[in-house]
Amino acid sequence: MQYQFATIANTAEVLKNRLSSLEKKTDILRAVELKALYDELRLLPNDQKATFGAEVNALRQELTDLAIDNQPAAALPPIDVTAPFDTNSLPQHRPRLLPSEQGSIHPLMTELALVLDIFYRMGFTAVESREIDDDYHMFGALNFPENHPARDDYDTFMTEQTDSNGKQFIAPAHTSSMQHRILKQHQDQLANGVPIAAVIPGRVFRNEDLDARHEHTFYQVEGIYVAKGVHVGNLIATLKTFLQEYYGKALEVKTQPFYFPFTEPSFEFALSCPFCDQTGCSICSQSGWIELLGCGLIHPNVLSEAGIDPEVYTGFAWGFGIERLVMMKYGIEDIRHFEAAKLDFLRQFA
Amino acid sequence: MKISYNWIQEYLDFPLPPVTELVTAIGAQLGAVEEVVDYGAKYKGVVVARIVSCRLVEESDHLSVCLIDDGQVVPAVERNADGFVQVVCGAPNVREGLLVAWLPPGSVVPSSFDKQPFTLGARKLRGYMSNGMLASPQELALGDSHEGILEVDFECQPGADFGEIYKLNDFIIDIENKMFTHRPDCFGILGVAREIAGILGHSFNEPDWFATFTADLTPSGPVLPLQIRNDSPNLVPRFMAVALSAIEIKPSPIWQQALLCRVGVRPINNIVDTTNYFMYLTGQPLHAYDYDKVRGLDGAAVATLVARESAADDKLELLNGKAIEPRAGAVVIATASQVIGLAGVMGGASTEVDATTTSIILECATFEMYSIRRTSMTHGIFSEAVTRFNKGQSPYQNDRILIAAGRFICNAGSAEFASDLLDEAASTLQVNRFYTQQAKIDAAFITARLGLDLPVERVAALLSNVGFKVETVVVNQALSLQIQVPFWRTDIELREDIVEEVGRLYGFDKLPLELPTRVIAPALKNRMLELKAAIRTIMSRAGATEVLTYSFVAGALLAKVGQNQDQAYKITNALSPELQYYRQTLSPSLLEKVHPNNKAGYDQFALFELGKTHIVDSADPMIDGVPAEHDRLACVFAADLKAARGYDGAAYYQARHYLERLLQQLGLSAKVQLIPYNSSSLNDRDQTKISYYETSRSAMIQLGEYNLGIIGEYTATVRKALKLPDYCAGFELDVALLLEAAQISATYQPLPKFPKTGQDICLRVPATTPYQRVYDLVTGIVRDQYAEQSVISVTAIDVFQRPAEPDYKQITLRISLANYQRTLTDVEVSGLLDTIANQAAQVLSAERV
Repeated sequence: MQYQFATIANTAEVLKNRLSSLEKKTDILRAVELKALYDELRLLPNDQKATFGAEVNALRQELTDLAIDNQPAAALPPIDVTAPFDTNSLPQHRPRLLPSEQGSIHPLMTELALVLDIFYRMGFTAVESREIDDDYHMFGALNFPENHPARDDYDTFMTEQTDSNGKQFIAPAHTSSMQHRILKQHQDQLANGVPIAAVIPGRVFRNEDLDARHEHTFYQVEGIYVAKGVHVGNLIATLKTFLQEYYGKALEVKTQPFYFPFTEPSFEFALSCPFCDQTGCSICSQSGWIELLGCGLIHPNVLSEAGIDPEVYTGFAWGFGIERLVMMKYGIEDIRHFEAAKLDFLRQFA
Repeated sequence: MKISYNWIQEYLDFPLPPVTELVTAIGAQLGAVEEVVDYGAKYKGVVVARIVSCRLVEESDHLSVCLIDDGQVVPAVERNADGFVQVVCGAPNVREGLLVAWLPPGSVVPSSFDKQPFTLGARKLRGYMSNGMLASPQELALGDSHEGILEVDFECQPGADFGEIYKLNDFIIDIENKMFTHRPDCFGILGVAREIAGILGHSFNEPDWFATFTADLTPSGPVLPLQIRNDSPNLVPRFMAVALSAIEIKPSPIWQQALLCRVGVRPINNIVDTTNYFMYLTGQPLHAYDYDKVRGLDGAAVATLVARESAADDKLELLNGKAIEPRAGAVVIATASQVIGLAGVMGGASTEVDATTTSIILECATFEMYSIRRTSMTHGIFSEAVTRFNKGQSPYQNDRILIAAGRFICNAGSAEFASDLLDEAASTLQVNRFYTQQAKIDAAFITARLGLDLPVERVAALLSNVGFKVETVVVNQALSLQIQVPFWRTDIELREDIVEEVGRLYGFDKLPLELPTRVIAPALKNRMLELKAAIRTIMSRAGATEVLTYSFVAGALLAKVGQNQDQAYKITNALSPELQYYRQTLSPSLLEKVHPNNKAGYDQFALFELGKTHIVDSADPMIDGVPAEHDRLACVFAADLKAARGYDGAAYYQARHYLERLLQQLGLSAKVQLIPYNSSSLNDRDQTKISYYETSRSAMIQLGEYNLGIIGEYTATVRKALKLPDYCAGFELDVALLLEAAQISATYQPLPKFPKTGQDICLRVPATTPYQRVYDLVTGIVRDQYAEQSVISVTAIDVFQRPAEPDYKQITLRISLANYQRTLTDVEVSGLLDTIANQAAQVLSAERV
């Protein structure tokens, strides 16, 4: 750094030389010489104040950087890592656990366990989804042709690294990316009359801006069921049964036609608001209904891609988010709290 | 997709139910409704009035005082003896006899309705009372024109409701576009009207121009030479055009402008408005070129339109003023010499229809949807045409729509057809078909898929209501439906698609509910999830807090903890630099959360996270073509300066206490060893996992042959970079290995009947001797001597170092013994301690204290 004003340049040299002799490097910022420059600034004519002031500030910054950089973090001496406690530690000051009441499980994980338990009792095995996957499992195996506009609805993150087809890996935007693997792995049991019944919890990712209601990372629970003669009535009954068990009360449900390439027909699924029993509340925006999940009968192309004959077997699939359940349950105002690792938030669930 | 209630009604021969009822039906049987807007609200109180007299105010050069006749429909307004109302108006076109839109006092200016509603009153202008105002198109939210007042072009009596005569008393229903991804026909009012008829149980009557048109067309006026060519039939299934002459460019009739405004389109002129009108009506985009400009570009006697793939040096200025070089492979529209449009995406500026236009070429083409999508993405243009073309419009609709649009233009003025109907379709297209596909489907198939035995007549009715042709046939005594699919249903490919149609038109919510049958065999357990649940319980009971942090981290964080960015999967379209890399380990994410929680007032805490990690490394090969995923557990304990005073010694031991608690609760403690390591002996993958640990204060977590992970304190650089307190340590381990290791079940020892005896032994050893060596030696000797018949425990009591003797330390262990057969005597135990002391002296140079 070159300083134009001679007084500043001189002071800079003096102070920099002094730095090495200081025990506590940041003391340099309290040097009288530096203070003197600020005093001088006040006496200058107005037209010089700006440039002089800027240089004094630049010097201060330079010294700050030097002082902080020169401050080595103390390397700590070696210890005997095989011992249960440190040498000369008093029994009352030895390692101990924090009080149990401070500990907590993340509310999303608590809720996920609750959900998986209900499905487990209903005969569904849980399989965790992947956090990095390929184009084939995210799209191809799910009946999304190349360049299909339906891909636009999934703003996926892609990696620089590519798969053996030269396609970028994908941060899955839905847990459906596991469908093909599970169908393929269990196709043989269908012939023995054993249905494929799985729930797939996992993290999914969407390339969208964050706000109180949108996260780029969230948790979904996918479900698939394949057997002979499965029809739409089975799908609606299964989801209704789950929701009634989850909320511990009788509910009304309704469907709304939707479009997913991997189900046919596809629906959005809504339940009567369990918080107000359809008398109107803020959770259901006074509508009496809560739209919760997407679902449908598995598209024949998805079944045949996994080696299952869609003429013989049919199935259904669904997916919903966990955050929404938890937010509604506790009245959580901002979805971004979940992955912020704030004890203020998390210890409320201790 | 915004649809207008009034526009839909025009295509139905039965009255629509009230809007709320209609919206419920659409939601249940067509698709999600995002919003319903009461469009008529902003025209409440706007009245058609006739100017009965008009004279200029003397003191002004532009203001006129008018008396208007409103048929006396507006109450509580000042009137003269004839019942007329005085309004002052400054518009240049105000004149006697004109029918105008009057905003009486108390009404709101429609253009201000959605922003800051401006309510009119009666006030004096230049001394003359003006009761409300006469409105311009802009004030009526019908376009940008503010040069004069709107002149009502509809035959009606003064006092008519302005909103009613132009059908502005409408409801606009916005249906989610996503619902129609596979339904190109529903991007037009006609398609939606057909669906609404179907779901309300009515048969839809196709308009004649759509259903029973004839493609014969001969020029009705002077012929304009026009030729078209389709050089890319695989990307352009159909390319049609017709020339029209005697065009007069002017504003569209107000009803048409009003209609476009309602669905969100800005009126421009009669030609552009008509192409937009037909696009919103049918889903088929049209484009109009200025005929003379097209011909002029080539300087030829004939105008030429070519659909072709872009060439290397093609350049184009679009209608939005942007200059582009079309992507290689994009379909462009060109004259013989120049590119004039980015096909299906946006037209070009050089042939734009403007005020001077007298002849046009009307184009109606079909482009391959994937090509359009690629072009749109490449150039970042998302026009209404793209929205429709990239859903795959049917090439069978072009002729009928082109003729209808041409006739519409002719009927609205003096225009005439000036060429033949030119049609360059792909050779594979049989252009005159109405039903393009057939399917035979068993009634039993529909019943099985829906879980409902619907009579075939009912199925047939549901489908024929929306244009399918259905015949019932009996084959091998089974009832079947022979179904012919109309051309606009490009989505129907499989029998399942027919089932969806039947179910939807019938109403899925009316289907009988029935749980699937299940086998009695229990569902398989997921042992990994069970282990994770156990870890959560153990850790939280130990006072630790579970956190979840993002799977993506910043390059800056990797740099701070010394991890190699090249070993991280990198996101190319990250939301921010904070989320650029997949994490290689979990601990850095936790370390990043320590300081903020310290600052938030938490003096000590333990954080843990269960998550997945990924490392780019040859030692971590792909599994089934995708990167290996590692389930890991990380834990960090941190205490600030004050809280750390409650602990003697290194933070390492606190982390170790948590680790031991976890492993002991999982039934593993006896077999786990913590061993010092030499980082230089590790491979790259392991290096990146441990880069942030201080080697001299960390250990490998070893369980038999498994290296579960690492525990330790963090390097000075990391502590500084992440503002960690000095008292901070943690561990991270591989949960999959833990799962394998946890197979080793915990052991239980029966309780002896004879009393337990315990004695302490204190050994003075060189300071460098690891505690573990002393412990292992002592335990080994005790086990040798009391192999089977005893319960043995050896625990640490103290590790002590005299300040004066830094080269030595004293380790005190308590040996506790109980025998199953007899009571052990003190003498016996003293003998054991002697043996230990002797061996320790030989092996460890230890001295008994």
